[in-house]
Amino acid sequence: MKKSIVAVGMALLIAGCNATTPEKPMSLKEQYEAALARTKAAVEKAASVDGEWRDIRWKKSKKRYLPKAIEAAKAGDYEKALKLLKIAEFQAEMGYKQAIAEKNAGPQLYGM
Amino acid sequence: MRTIATLLLSAGLVASASQTLAGPKEDLEKFRAYFEQKFPGMQLDDFGNGAYALDASKRLQWESMEEFPPYEEFVDKGREIWEKPFKNGKSFADCFGKDPSKVRVRYPHWDSKTQQVVTLEGDINKCLKENGEKPFKWKKGPIAWLSAFFGYEARGQKINVKIPDDPKALEAYEKGKHFFYAKRGQLNMACADCHVKYAGHFIRGNLLSPALGHVTHFPVYRAKWAKKSKNGDGLGTLHRRYGGCNKQVRARPFKAQSEEYRDLEFFHQYMSNGLTINAPGYRE
Repeated sequence: MKKSIVAVGMALLIAGCNATTPEKPMSLKEQYEAALARTKAAVEKAASVDGEWRDIRWKKSKKRYLPKAIEAAKAGDYEKALKLLKIAEFQAEMGYKQAIAEKNAGPQLYGM
Repeated sequence: MRTIATLLLSAGLVASASQTLAGPKEDLEKFRAYFEQKFPGMQLDDFGNGAYALDASKRLQWESMEEFPPYEEFVDKGREIWEKPFKNGKSFADCFGKDPSKVRVRYPHWDSKTQQVVTLEGDINKCLKENGEKPFKWKKGPIAWLSAFFGYEARGQKINVKIPDDPKALEAYEKGKHFFYAKRGQLNMACADCHVKYAGHFIRGNLLSPALGHVTHFPVYRAKWAKKSKNGDGLGTLHRRYGGCNKQVRARPFKAQSEEYRDLEFFHQYMSNGLTINAPGYRE
């Protein structure tokens, strides 16, 4: 009986430890790399439906969130880079959704 | 109840099918009727004067500008380009014919061989390349001067774009139409939002012009562009303006003479068929 109690206790202890052991947190650099890959994919997806917005990476835009994020990362400022990537990714996703939503746009929507 | 629902559904399907099947001719009729209803009493050709046809005080200012038009010297430069022979001895007349007044009205058109929309600016650069000359930049400068010269020479003639009964030509037209009506950019606005729905309304201090008649005065001389240039050259092509509009709604603009803008021009010019060419025009 005692052995069973010890066994159950050990099992619970191990399970508990497993559940609470924190995963090694991603470094800012790792977070940046993951966000960059996601953003690039989202931008290409938006561009594939002609839905890309002006300020994501267009060379004449003053904001150019994506290239500026890459520049910030190169300078070691990953926090700034992540902030810019968040905007770029959001805008890319919205641009894609907008283009899809406008697939059937036409004069009928303007009372013609 | 079921019968009513079926009838309503059928009616809806018929309606949507007829919208899908509406061809260029029907589109043009509806487009014109929309603006005639929105601006009752306005003469058809007056739509070619854009916002100046809608506001008396702006019109007065514009008419005084037109007395000594700032674009004149650039039209003259266009004439010089037209007259200057290429290094091989040929000239633009070998590409476009001897009469410059007959050039503007042929554009844009559908080329069944290349299966694409051909624009005046596209053919200007094609002519240069075929004769061993360096092509012009697409949006301003010499290309706009020569195009403005063609427009000036064609004043008084009617826009007459033909959409041939060719599935590919109709596809290009439909793509241009879709571009015109589709919202884009961070501001979620279509060309049609400003120039159909809100035509005649103010956007800050600017009066939005109706899309009907837009193309009659292109290339256009804009005071805004003149301010930016070193020599007071405010002339720009239609595709320069398309890019500017897209940029203003915070969409990534397409390149001048891209397929997107050529198709848009095909639709946009066709919608002004029958209006008198008054290029180049002066605009704020």
